[in-house]
Amino acid sequence: MSGRTPLFVNTKCECGHQNPAATVLCEACGKPLLDNTDSGDPLEMRYDGMARRSQKANPGVVDRVWNFFSSVKIAIYLIVLMLLGSTLGTIFPQESTFLNIDPSTYYKQRYGTAGEIYYRLGLSHTYESWWFITLLVMIGASLVICSLDRVLPLYKALKRQNIRKHRRFLTRQKVVLVRKIAEDSDAWVAGAVQPLKKQGYRVMTDGSALLAEKHRFSRWGPYIIHIGLIIFLLAVLARGLPGLNMDQHLAFPQGDIIHIPDTSYYLENEKFTVEFYKDEEMPEEFRGKKVLPKLYETKAVLYECTADCGDPSKEPKLTKVALHAIQVNDPLSYKGMKAYQFDYDLTPVLRSVTPKLVNSATGESYGSFKLEMKNSQRRFAAGPYTLELKEKYMEFGLNEEGQPISKSPYPNAPAFLFLIKGPNLPPGGEQYFYFPKQNDKAEFQQDAINDKLGGAGRFLELEVGDMSGVDFSESTSYLNLRVDRAMPFVWTGAGIVMLGLVLGFYWQHRRIWLTVDGGELTLGAHTNKNWFGLRREVKAFLEKMNISVDEKSLENGGGQA
Amino acid sequence: MGNARKPVQIIILVLIVLLGGYAIGTSAFGGDGKPEEGSRAPSFELLGLDGKTHKLDEYKGKPIVLNFWGSWCAPCVKEMPALEAQWEKWKAQGVVVVGINVGEDQMTVQNFVNGTGVNFLILMDPEREAVRSYGISPLPTTFFINAKGKIDTIHIGQLDLSTLDAQIGKLVNR
Repeated sequence: MSGRTPLFVNTKCECGHQNPAATVLCEACGKPLLDNTDSGDPLEMRYDGMARRSQKANPGVVDRVWNFFSSVKIAIYLIVLMLLGSTLGTIFPQESTFLNIDPSTYYKQRYGTAGEIYYRLGLSHTYESWWFITLLVMIGASLVICSLDRVLPLYKALKRQNIRKHRRFLTRQKVVLVRKIAEDSDAWVAGAVQPLKKQGYRVMTDGSALLAEKHRFSRWGPYIIHIGLIIFLLAVLARGLPGLNMDQHLAFPQGDIIHIPDTSYYLENEKFTVEFYKDEEMPEEFRGKKVLPKLYETKAVLYECTADCGDPSKEPKLTKVALHAIQVNDPLSYKGMKAYQFDYDLTPVLRSVTPKLVNSATGESYGSFKLEMKNSQRRFAAGPYTLELKEKYMEFGLNEEGQPISKSPYPNAPAFLFLIKGPNLPPGGEQYFYFPKQNDKAEFQQDAINDKLGGAGRFLELEVGDMSGVDFSESTSYLNLRVDRAMPFVWTGAGIVMLGLVLGFYWQHRRIWLTVDGGELTLGAHTNKNWFGLRREVKAFLEKMNISVDEKSLENGGGQA
Repeated sequence: MGNARKPVQIIILVLIVLLGGYAIGTSAFGGDGKPEEGSRAPSFELLGLDGKTHKLDEYKGKPIVLNFWGSWCAPCVKEMPALEAQWEKWKAQGVVVVGINVGEDQMTVQNFVNGTGVNFLILMDPEREAVRSYGISPLPTTFFINAKGKIDTIHIGQLDLSTLDAQIGKLVNR
């Protein structure tokens, strides 16, 4: 952001120092090199007048790319573009805010033509789009290159400051004082050290010249901000790496151990409880109209698989690693994975029944067996009888041809077909249809079916005595499982940004140069902001040195206070 | 720093290109979400009716027809004979047909297969893990995967003989 510089400049200063091209103020004595006029205008003090790294006489290709990114103007354009791009993503909700939608139809249905255009332009996932990520990467590049380009010359300039500066450098500062002094020059300068030190300055003298400086670290504030931003950006971009980010919603029926996909963890919902507000606890307008849950809690156990994990032909070996009663905003947390309470479903799901085989004629019971809905055993024994499971239907129904089929894989209306063998039965056995649920028994007419299958002489029945013979999964808890390993880096980056902001905001880098030459004191002072404070400090110092001065008169030329 | 300036500049620019390229690349070519036509077929490891564990990698270099089905889904049941017929026709050319059952247990699957008499490989996905990684919602859904392991086409709904034939032909001739 500097003016055009002529192609060839004699860069050797009168003090004998050889300056790099595009140096504004001599690196050694501070003499203004670009305008040799004796105008009193305040100097351009950016980066202490050093040439920025990117300012070269004959830039090559690499230099041109470098220079593009090192321009603050370009950085501002990029940031403005990113802001404009970000606003596009807020017109309609982003795809990532929904759990189960088909974006290709949702936007059109919900928002009409505008929604469809929005989806087709890819704005329904603005923040994951290639152009947005490209902008982020370019801003990151600009941050790195801008900082390096400026911080190194600035560091060097501040590291090796000459105490004695060119007179024109002093008189063209924004805070200037020129006064006649009666005292001996060296003695006056030596006497000035103590008062300045009292004001918190670090003071260096060189005979009749003096440099007082304080709070230089404040100059590094912006660069620390940039480092923080770079870490922040890298963390955000790294979230896409495998294993760093997971966000899924899973159903956990009570009592089942469920594998969490893409991890070696299994989670069991041991018990899910939900409490509702009583009518008298609720405000008037809700009473009798709404059911509001007061608390829902999943007692969860987390297992880690230690052997035989990926192989579906083997049972995985699990070890308990964590226990937690998950409530809303109180997740189970283990090694960076968190399980949040998300939703619930109070529909009970049948897991197993334990029917007895009885003789309906004599009332004799031959014993019972456990019949699981899923992965049922194929053979059972009850007294002298053997039962072989031939067919099972999770949700019994009939197809167009009148054949028995299952209408879904969920045990909503289970039915089982057994072949029973044993005493007083035909040698080939007898078929028996069994509906565990009482209402299914009636609806599908179990007795009529079995009369057809077993004939008039049949005497065996399967019966469930009471509810102790039925095992339900009473409810299903839905949990949201999350891993976000990039988050600590995001916070670290944000913390570093904050530190940089504090450094830059609450302290100012102040410098006072003075030389006493031939009975004349020339004083120049510079700060990066809060000139008012600097002028007040200079005035206080001069008063200690018995020079009374009006604060306003220190100001040289127009400029911000 | 003076002489090291150029190399340092180049190293920084190269790093930015690498990191940035990776970030932009994953966003442009769908780093997450459902597999789409043209993307790589997600891997799976499932138990087959033959009692063995099967992985997608086993069929590297062969065109694969991956059919997700359930015994309760009428169109799935209806398209089984077509899948069987086309498998018989194309298997000499190295085409693999795999049926992945969704969320049912071994007995149900075995009974169903015995009833329909299909002979191509049937795998079971009781935990619906493959269903999740392939982003299946309606059944049946069939993936045509080419020999390079890339998804060529995704067909949602019932297949008939001629469509199936055309799709497999396309796969083989790629």
